Amino acid sequence: MVILREGMCPGLDEDLLRSLRAADIRTVEDLVSSDSEELAQKCSVSYKALFAIRRVLLAQHTAFPVSGADLYEELLSSTAILSTGNPSLDKLLDSGLFTGEITELSGGPGSGKSQVCFGAAVHISHHLKQSVIYIDTTGGLTASRLLQMLRSETTNTDEQMEALQRIRIVRLFDVYALLDCLYGLCGGGLQQASVGGGSVKAVIVDSVSAVIAPLLGGKQSEGMSLMTQVAGVLKTMAKDFSVAALVTNHVTRSGSGDVQPGLGVSWSHVPRTRILLERVETAPSVSRSSLRSATLIKSSRQVQAAHRVLTLNPSQPCCIKEEFDLRWWSGAAGGASGKRKLDQAGS
Amino acid sequence: MFQIVCLISKTVWIHFVPIPDRTEPDKRPGTALLRAAGTGSESDRARRAAEEEEEDEARVEMSESGTQLFARLEARRCLKDIEPRLFPDDGGPDHGEVVEVYGPEGTGKTELLYHLLSRCVLPEAAGGLEVDVVFVDTDYSLDMLRLVSILDTRLNKGRTTLKGLSTSPSSAGSDEAALHLCLSRLLVVHCSSSSQLLLTLHFLETTLSSRSSLALLLIDSMSAFYWSDRGEGGASISKQEEKLSKSSELLGRLLRDYRITIFATCHAIRRSNSGPSSSETDRPFLCRPWQRLVTHRLLCSRQEADPDQAGSDRGDGEQRRRRVFRVHCTSSSLSSTGTKGSRTSSFRVTDGGVEFI
Repeated sequence: MVILREGMCPGLDEDLLRSLRAADIRTVEDLVSSDSEELAQKCSVSYKALFAIRRVLLAQHTAFPVSGADLYEELLSSTAILSTGNPSLDKLLDSGLFTGEITELSGGPGSGKSQVCFGAAVHISHHLKQSVIYIDTTGGLTASRLLQMLRSETTNTDEQMEALQRIRIVRLFDVYALLDCLYGLCGGGLQQASVGGGSVKAVIVDSVSAVIAPLLGGKQSEGMSLMTQVAGVLKTMAKDFSVAALVTNHVTRSGSGDVQPGLGVSWSHVPRTRILLERVETAPSVSRSSLRSATLIKSSRQVQAAHRVLTLNPSQPCCIKEEFDLRWWSGAAGGASGKRKLDQAGS
Repeated sequence: MFQIVCLISKTVWIHFVPIPDRTEPDKRPGTALLRAAGTGSESDRARRAAEEEEEDEARVEMSESGTQLFARLEARRCLKDIEPRLFPDDGGPDHGEVVEVYGPEGTGKTELLYHLLSRCVLPEAAGGLEVDVVFVDTDYSLDMLRLVSILDTRLNKGRTTLKGLSTSPSSAGSDEAALHLCLSRLLVVHCSSSSQLLLTLHFLETTLSSRSSLALLLIDSMSAFYWSDRGEGGASISKQEEKLSKSSELLGRLLRDYRITIFATCHAIRRSNSGPSSSETDRPFLCRPWQRLVTHRLLCSRQEADPDQAGSDRGDGEQRRRRVFRVHCTSSSLSSTGTKGSRTSSFRVTDGGVEFI
């Protein structure tokens, strides 16, 4: 709802505004939807002037149609694919996180969502040399963990510091602060954060359900409208500034007992790609395994890749599943001994 | 049709005769009469010539409005045959009808829209209808890369069936040119709020009147602003539904005036817990003016995988398992038979888009 104010466009002065308000026209939508001839008679203003004002207001506030060919050219030049650092995950995501889209990681507690986010942030900032904005709503991010991951990538402390500087961390704990932060990023924060090296290519929100889930449920619909607002601004930011948005989500059990991502049906339309992380059932002797399985539950691209090896899961046919090791980012299972040696040498 | 046009402007006949040039006064019927009469003074003749010039100008203007009238009423292509496998017999969407595609997440609604889109913009050689399409994207769900891959696959299929065994090399340039031509028939608009949607639909009216080959309006999705409108509207339901009602009324007027066809998706907002055949989750929840516009409703759902397929592939190795989707169409269109018709069809999603089973 855009309220009519004087000076919005040439010709819209106070007298005209007063007569429009007397005719019950207060917003731009009212003016555009009403019949210009009738209104001109009622407000005793020339039809031509009113028509011109209507045209200028429409031009100011509508979205302009773009030809499909131009849109495609633009997309080709601005879309990038960011690898997450883990080849199994990349295979699942069809070679990585796509800019301009929202990717969702859901999983229960301890399923490794935050670890995957850390790993992706470290990979993007170190290997791809691009900035990352990490919005932490759970308080689970520590810089020492990021440094640990970086140490396994490179031993050069300058490079480590540079990579750490490219990861900007924002800590907030409620949805209004989140909206504030996201609107600030859209309004110019992203350009400011691009100072000092690569432009911002990824925005990670860990986790979006922690700030939205407390608002849902019950009879009021404000929680849903805030959720759609967060979704809208994330999508706009991803599309307009060509960044990849990665969000994490909790899980719930459906009526039939299956594990499914949280935040309900209305959120399910928001991410373009959804991955469900689960612990892998291992022998009871091996406790605290770092193996996780990632299942692709929604993707607009993996129709082409349906010929990959599937692990058969009779309850969920046609879902592509990959297993990966969480220790990949801190030096893989083979290299873990290498890491320990490094520590011993360092200390 | 001709009677109506005649009533409005009797000079529409002049439109079909080449409009006389200013530089060739001999062809004008008025001056021919004058010359034949051969009487009157010079000033008289000049005066009459000036009067007739004005009349001719007026005639030219009115005859242009005659063309515009024709462009409005005649030229939009009928999309009844856009996808006969979806709709009941001869029940495809006619001029001025609205099809709502409804379903929960991941049931192929956007894929169906891509399928219809490619059917419209592809050239006739590749099985298309060559009409212009406007895509109103309210939740940034248009994936141009996926659309282009579908168009590419279909263009290639069309090209190979046409050429058969001919060995003429198809250069990359002509492929790109064909793709560019298809994409130039598509107009995409992004809307970020329901008030912007309303204003954009007003703006689209000028686009509709200037492009007479525009026959299809795709909206994905109508329910994107449902929760934000409810939050903004506060406690009164009429205020909550106000903007969507205004958009629906405007769409109704555009349908009547310009005779286009609309396909719109609507996301489900309630999860179906009691199995695939629960009617309460399929109940329409958007405002009444929109429900009154809808003449056909396509309900999309996921179908369980075929049991014999599951039995044959076991163990590792390459498997081609594609999810099957089901569409149930209910038509309450008055134009075809006056009664409700329904049809259920299934499809798979492949590289070339939707493939009906």
